[in-house]
Amino acid sequence: MPVTLATDTVKITRERKFGYVVPALLLIVFFFIVPVTMLLLRSVLEPVPGMQNYAALLGSTTYLRVFLNTFLVAGVVTIVSIFVGYPVAWLLAIMPEKWSRIVLAIIILSMWTNLLARTYAWMVLLQRTGVINKTLMALGLIDKPLALVNNLVGVTIGMTYIMLPFVILPLMGVIRSIDPAILRAAALCGAGKLQCFLRVLLPLSLPGIVAGALMVFVMSLGYFVTPALLGGTSNMMLAELVAQFVQSLVNWGMGGAAALVLLVVTLTLYAIQLRYFNPARGK
Amino acid sequence: MTEPFLSIRGIRKSYGPVTAVKNVSMDIAEGEFMTFLGPSGSGKSTTLYVLAGFQDPSGGDILLKGRSLLSTPSHKRNIGMVFQRYTLFPHLTVGENVAFPLRIRRRPQAEIAERVKAALKLVRLEGFEDRMPALMSGGQQQRVALARALVYNPPVLLMDEPLSALDKKLREEIQFEIRRIHRETGVTILYVTHDQEEALRLSDRIAVFSQGEVDQIGTGPELYANPATRFVAGFIGDSNFLDATVVASDAGKAKLSLGDGSVVEGVPLHGTSTASGKASLMLRPERLSLSRAAVPSGIAVTVRDITFLGNNVEVSTATPAGVDLAVRLPFGHEAISNLARGEDAWLTFDTASAHAFA
Amino acid sequence: MLLDFDKLGGLKPLLTVLVVVVCIFLILPIVFIAALSFGSSQWLIFPPPSWTFKWYQDLFADPRWLFSALTSLKIAGIVTVLSVVIGFLAALGLNRGSFVGRDFLRALFLTPMILPVVVLAVALYALFLKLGLAGTTIAFVIAHLLIALPFSIISIGNALDGFDRSIEEAAILCGASPWEARLRVTVPAVSHGIFAAAVFSFLASWDEVVLAIFMASPTLQTLPVKIWTTLRQDLTPVIAAASTLLIAFTILLMIVAALFRKGRKA
Repeated sequence: MPVTLATDTVKITRERKFGYVVPALLLIVFFFIVPVTMLLLRSVLEPVPGMQNYAALLGSTTYLRVFLNTFLVAGVVTIVSIFVGYPVAWLLAIMPEKWSRIVLAIIILSMWTNLLARTYAWMVLLQRTGVINKTLMALGLIDKPLALVNNLVGVTIGMTYIMLPFVILPLMGVIRSIDPAILRAAALCGAGKLQCFLRVLLPLSLPGIVAGALMVFVMSLGYFVTPALLGGTSNMMLAELVAQFVQSLVNWGMGGAAALVLLVVTLTLYAIQLRYFNPARGK
Repeated sequence: MTEPFLSIRGIRKSYGPVTAVKNVSMDIAEGEFMTFLGPSGSGKSTTLYVLAGFQDPSGGDILLKGRSLLSTPSHKRNIGMVFQRYTLFPHLTVGENVAFPLRIRRRPQAEIAERVKAALKLVRLEGFEDRMPALMSGGQQQRVALARALVYNPPVLLMDEPLSALDKKLREEIQFEIRRIHRETGVTILYVTHDQEEALRLSDRIAVFSQGEVDQIGTGPELYANPATRFVAGFIGDSNFLDATVVASDAGKAKLSLGDGSVVEGVPLHGTSTASGKASLMLRPERLSLSRAAVPSGIAVTVRDITFLGNNVEVSTATPAGVDLAVRLPFGHEAISNLARGEDAWLTFDTASAHAFA
Repeated sequence: MLLDFDKLGGLKPLLTVLVVVVCIFLILPIVFIAALSFGSSQWLIFPPPSWTFKWYQDLFADPRWLFSALTSLKIAGIVTVLSVVIGFLAALGLNRGSFVGRDFLRALFLTPMILPVVVLAVALYALFLKLGLAGTTIAFVIAHLLIALPFSIISIGNALDGFDRSIEEAAILCGASPWEARLRVTVPAVSHGIFAAAVFSFLASWDEVVLAIFMASPTLQTLPVKIWTTLRQDLTPVIAAASTLLIAFTILLMIVAALFRKGRKA
């Protein structure tokens, strides 16, 4: 009977299929869950069981400065990225396609270019004898070169450069999904440009802004390469601290503790984003 | 002569080489319900957008009570508009949506509350203030949009195919509501649609748009009884067209030869007759009579199909040259009892009810 | 009106200027690096006093650069294949399966992407030290695979979401075995997702810095590790040459991806 045949095949394509995820699951369990758990355990087991690593980490001004640096840089990068990225995303969402294509190509090119190549470029551009200092001096805006690298200014510029595409692209999607007729309706209701923006466009794109901001903040908190190269040794961020404990100091207990702090902050913010600003849920 | 309430004067709109609106002019009286009727791409929506200020015309002017609107930005025009899609602000409740224009105008809180209530009452959505738009049906959302457009008493309300997203039954229900609201508020309405039935049902007058121009403006019966162009004749009501040659014309009446040898006289002629004298003869299906006995002056046809339409019966026929002619007769008419497919018949008509378009 | 490009009024020039400035900001370092790689100045003075291919000659004269590039290529190649195969199976299971905990697994598979890489790098480093795998190709492949896999699962999962599985069922009704149907009907239908998965997996591995730093040994380095260690010593223009080649490679990849998309539309 054809009917039985049909239901049989449905069973074939809709069986439970747990087997298919087993390779991925094995990989994740053995090389993700197990090592990360082990690392975190070492933070309370080494050198002796107890919370001394956390006490050392949270009780020292040196390490507190690292936390402060990390949050400061991540915060500034997030704010600058949103304030610059939002208007760009807005225009990109509505400009004629022949232009938006060019802008998108530039954004994607910068995003896909090797991270080290980009960071290297900023190291060269921002150095004392670099193009930016030379240009500013030639213009007579400054007398002697500004210190733009080996400090948090350099880190902020380099990280903003990396994070901007991550703000612009999703925000463009959010703004594109807003019906322009809603803004026309608002204008006919009597709202001027500023009111249209504050009362309609901004509230409608706010979930996208918050989600983008959280994402950039989280990514910035855990960033390693750019702070290590542009920040110099005296302006460490949290990810560098983790690496330093393990690589130079071979102190696995402290490394695990710093990793846990980073992990907890990251996952908490990520959970908030999932819970309240999941764009996939249409909210 | 008194100044017209709303005057559209020679509006043109082109995008590069493409001309969307060629030369649209009309006067609209206060409180009138004017419909722009036409197929898509005929320029009716563009004209409406120019009125709303979403597009700047390439030429022409729009006067409201004698004052040009064009230099006024959309948000200062004080015009109401209901869109094809619902365009409610998804982050605001129904009450906040309706209050939005009043908040923008900084009206006192008490007045806002009162007017929002009145507007929702007008569209029969009392008590829905705290709902979110996403949780309402399409018809309800469109009524909220209507309340929002009317709450600040705009002198003119624009409606851009507001019912096209709704199903047929809901559409008729809301058409009725729109008529009632028009009566109750006396607001001047400019309504865009491609649906002739909707236009006839709602409007005081209809402007028929075709290829960026207004072919004719008039009441429904005027357009139906006296179409100015072949396009209007074809767009309003059902119609048959026959190729004909103008033999002679005098004082707007023409003598036509129908090609099969028959000649008809006294047909109202529209448009200037060309040298070749070619013309289209338009015949309304319900104005045709069918005879089963040979009529010398009639058009000889063969019956192709008979369709029962309730109170009417439509007989599809074809001339020997293969032109289809539909005839509509009341149910039970003697001419069609036992009429069979393939039978020969003759069609006759009152020449005054026919129209010729050169 | 704020979303109608032609009715932005005074905002239009303002926003346009900002977009142009941001574009310059984004493209400047890339153009600059390419220009400097041909400049003769050892100290990266701009504009360069004269033009030269010297740094490219230095780059190709040093076998360690070439070797690290080959290492990167080999690892990225293996990672791409494994990531696409494991990702396809996982996406199929997540998309079609009816087992308990599916949503949890989906979230779990994507966590390596959101977790700070440095935590993963340090944790894996510790594990591989214990297992005696530190500094081996296997360690590299496993580490890179962990961050490439989420890209595969997302890309292929999205493609599977857009694929009507009754088509696969129809193929089975036509007599194909389930795996035959999958290979001959489903795989071609989601080929754009598989292609995207391959490109992203390759790039994820090819460009990975942090994991690679921890996986590397003095004898086994990928290209980013080689750049990193050189960079920590000095800002030699040889890196500009290497970076320029990487940028050229990226542009090539973008063109291939664009052509692939175009080919799919036609």
